[in-house]
Amino acid sequence: MASGRDVRDMLGLPMGGDAPKAAIQKRPKLAGGSRKIQGVAREVAALYGERPPPVAVYEEKKSYRAKRQNTGPAKKWEQQAFRIAARRDDLVLRHWRRKHATAPPVQAPDDTKMEDGENTDVQVPLCAEYEKYDVQVDLPTFTDDEYDVLLRSEDWSREETEYLLQMVNDFAYRWAVIWDRYDFLPFHKLYDGGESAKGDADQALAAMPFAPSKKRTVEDLKARFYDISAKLMKHRIPEVHMDAEQYSLYEMLSKFDPVMERNRKMLATALMNRSMDEVKEEEFLLTELQRINMAAVRLDAEREELRSRLDAPTANSSVSAGLQAFTSSQSLQALFQQLFQQDRSKKRASGGGTGPGRLSLSANDMVHTPGSAQAQLSAANRRQSMASQPVAQTPVKHLSPREEHRYNVSTHERLTSGVTFGSDKLLKMRQAKSNVQTQKIATALATLGIADVIAIPTSRVGDVFETLVTKLGKLLDVRKVREKEEGECRVLQNMKEGGGSGTPRGDNMSETPKPKSEIQDTPGIDADGEDDDDNNPNFGDDDAPGEEEEEDDADGDDDGDGMEDVDAEGEDESSVQQSRATSQGVGGQSHKRSASVFSQDDESEISTKRARK
Amino acid sequence: MNIPNSSTAPAAGEYAGDEVSAIVLDPGYSSTRAGFAGEDVPKSVCPSFYGQRDTDSGLHYAFGENAIHNPQDRLDIKNYWGSDGIVEDWDVATKLWEYAITDRLTGAKATDPTKNGLNDGNTNGDSMDVDIEALENNEKPLEESPLLITEPGWNSAKAREKYIEIAMEDWGAPAFFLQKTGVLAAFASGKASGIIIDVGASHTSVTPVLDGMVLRKGVQKSPLAGNFISNQIRQIFKQSSPEIPLTPHYLVKSKTQVDAGSPAQAAYKTFANPPTDSFRFNEEERVLTEFKESVVEVWPGPGRFSNGNNEEIARNTPGRPFEMPDGWNQVFSSERFRAAEGLFDASAALTSDTSPRPKDEHTIPRLVQAAVQQVDADQRPMLLANIVVTGGSTLLYKFNERLNYEINAIYPSTRNKLIAPGSVVERKYASWIGGSILASLGSFHQLWISRKEYEEHGAGIVEKRCR
Repeated sequence: MASGRDVRDMLGLPMGGDAPKAAIQKRPKLAGGSRKIQGVAREVAALYGERPPPVAVYEEKKSYRAKRQNTGPAKKWEQQAFRIAARRDDLVLRHWRRKHATAPPVQAPDDTKMEDGENTDVQVPLCAEYEKYDVQVDLPTFTDDEYDVLLRSEDWSREETEYLLQMVNDFAYRWAVIWDRYDFLPFHKLYDGGESAKGDADQALAAMPFAPSKKRTVEDLKARFYDISAKLMKHRIPEVHMDAEQYSLYEMLSKFDPVMERNRKMLATALMNRSMDEVKEEEFLLTELQRINMAAVRLDAEREELRSRLDAPTANSSVSAGLQAFTSSQSLQALFQQLFQQDRSKKRASGGGTGPGRLSLSANDMVHTPGSAQAQLSAANRRQSMASQPVAQTPVKHLSPREEHRYNVSTHERLTSGVTFGSDKLLKMRQAKSNVQTQKIATALATLGIADVIAIPTSRVGDVFETLVTKLGKLLDVRKVREKEEGECRVLQNMKEGGGSGTPRGDNMSETPKPKSEIQDTPGIDADGEDDDDNNPNFGDDDAPGEEEEEDDADGDDDGDGMEDVDAEGEDESSVQQSRATSQGVGGQSHKRSASVFSQDDESEISTKRARK
Repeated sequence: MNIPNSSTAPAAGEYAGDEVSAIVLDPGYSSTRAGFAGEDVPKSVCPSFYGQRDTDSGLHYAFGENAIHNPQDRLDIKNYWGSDGIVEDWDVATKLWEYAITDRLTGAKATDPTKNGLNDGNTNGDSMDVDIEALENNEKPLEESPLLITEPGWNSAKAREKYIEIAMEDWGAPAFFLQKTGVLAAFASGKASGIIIDVGASHTSVTPVLDGMVLRKGVQKSPLAGNFISNQIRQIFKQSSPEIPLTPHYLVKSKTQVDAGSPAQAAYKTFANPPTDSFRFNEEERVLTEFKESVVEVWPGPGRFSNGNNEEIARNTPGRPFEMPDGWNQVFSSERFRAAEGLFDASAALTSDTSPRPKDEHTIPRLVQAAVQQVDADQRPMLLANIVVTGGSTLLYKFNERLNYEINAIYPSTRNKLIAPGSVVERKYASWIGGSILASLGSFHQLWISRKEYEEHGAGIVEKRCR
């Protein structure tokens, strides 16, 4: 009957009375459940604190195999006769089965005796346990009409078709076995049946020594069977009514191509009959491929790391390792170009004996850069994959000058190795061989109003800048020569003025110490002059071309020329007297001296700059 | 209930076992095996050689191990198998098989209750009718057990019909089935498909099996088997100098120890009526069997024994001693490799006037090649991955190594795997064990040819049902 609890349940009331009871019942259980741990284990448990241990730990008890349960007295077994459900006949076999407890054991011998004695057919139980193994094969069937309309074939008689179906049924679509056992002898059957004249003709044909033996291959059998199946299927279910599964089956059946199948098997046989050498070669190639792939993966990982360090955009990682460098057609083109160049440079290296170019992939060149390693890899790939193929000649596309200009394409006879910045290039141009010259160029450029750093150093800007700098150089040279010549002229003029006083030689002998002392008096200048001599041993050499180019003076004149001239002259004032004094000497010495003198104005410039600094 | 482990039997439903106390008979050239299906070894193994004694009171047959090794006068030792590997002498075969079955399996039947004198008082008309029928059945040894017989793969249709006639007419079996040894050997190794290399006593056979069915076109057989090796050993003995004497056990009364290679000093038995030559031959074969088991070795490869310096290598390996029944003994070194080399290399076989050079296509590698050739290309790799090795002669030392080498040399591109049971019994009696498995399956019940079917269709039914 409904208890108070049920009523509460029905009314949806809380289990007022029972809840505390349950709690009370639970609590002691909990307390009892957590058993007290002794010894070291207790300390370990204490480490866990209040929480349960992360892994449930069960103490393994020593366990022996469970005692064999006594299930009472030994069970009785009896040899039961039974019939088999899967069989059409009433074969009676006997197997041992446990005797049912209901039958009194005393009667057992009587039962068997009865079975033996009487006709047991009625009593023998049917054993359907293994009926599921009695599997029948699904086969297409046809009527005579259907055969006449649909299935007639020149190659296949009706009898043989039926024989084929029988074989398929017998061997449950195991085509290898069907083909193995397929042994249709048309004349035997015809002979047995006493058939018509046509049959006799067939028989005669078959009996002839050169009779074409109807040796059917597996493909022939399959083709015929599938053809029958497809035609019957289509006949029964028109194509439009077929569901997807049926249609795919129909398609499979109707699309069977014995020729293709035969070719496939030939290939399979050829694959199987490879010689040991071929197999070994394949194995070798496979291991090689694996090795290459591994190297590529490693390389890719290295490059990836490098890229991440450089914070470059990541390459397309979806492409398989090792090949990601060659995803786009452009990069492939580049690869080809590279390989082509490599070949050419190799040729050049062997023939002309020139050093390896930028794109040569000789061993020492390629070791360092990842790009070259990639190229090496690709070269190795190429060597394997198309060892016999000649390297494709890449067509060189010629661009019109306009296009070249537009795409900023430039051709170079030879490229310097490494990457350079345009600004570096410009900076380099500013620098001459000597600091003095560099200073001069810098001053000249400053006067021209060209900034130290050019914002966008494109190649065109570079080109223009280069021409400017060369012109500057010439200008400086010319100016130097002019100054020298002027100095000479002055000296000579002086000599001319004081020519009556004595022989220049004697003068020289007597006068030389004087300017020397003069110079010594001004040690700063002297030191500077000497420094110049030391630092610029080839300064005199610079003069020589300068002299030759004297006549180019006008040519080299820039708009700033005059100004500079003035400037220089103004600065030269102090030195002119010195030079006058010194250039009283004759010949080589004076020449040298003059050089040093000329350099002095440079020095003064430097000194002024120093002062400015 | 026990927890299932490797040693407990599977549940009944699991392996579809349903034993109906069928008897499996596996006749071979050397021995005939019989036993109850469901057991793991044949209970009754008796030699297929039998003794025939032509006495005054007519022909006497001697079956069984004890009988045929007893030196009697006029005892001819024969075998019922023909040289083509098909049973030749059906009468004796029936007797011998019956002996093999009744000797150890069914035993002599208890006398019928009507005849044993215990029921004399009971005179009931009804029971008398039954008794007559029972009496008839009683004379037939197998009336209670279905019978499964194994046959070689190349058995003729006529021979197959003979089997069922014997089983049904002579023995009164309620059901019968015939299965090929190759298929059963594959079943014994747990394979439904594979190539079965069976090197027996009289024949070596290679049988491709697909889903439990023999591919008949691929069945190959050759006479290069155990008996061939015995002949090779005889020739080795004959050709060595001095000739090695071959004295069977029954001739030796006592022997004394002698040094290796020196002539035997033994006391020999004398017989008033010496046994026949065939008896002596059979006894000599026993000695040779021992020699095969303990001395003969197959050159394991690589290469053939005659190739390069393989012979030199073999000479440097430690030899094996052998002592004849009369005390003669010697250590055999490289010549022990020569006896079985003919199985793999026809040109290496020893020849004489009576034994011509074996044919090249009879060597085992060539047999395998021919068998595989006859199989559909799609099945070849699968078959080569299941090469089952069976038969007593495959127990020769290093036989499998050599076979493995040879097959890999022919088919280097496929995964070839030899399946050779380690235990001697399983190797020797593989086809019996396979039959034992098959006949104890519940799913096999529907395949038996029943007596009723036999009576309906005649002996020809065996062609239709056992394929």
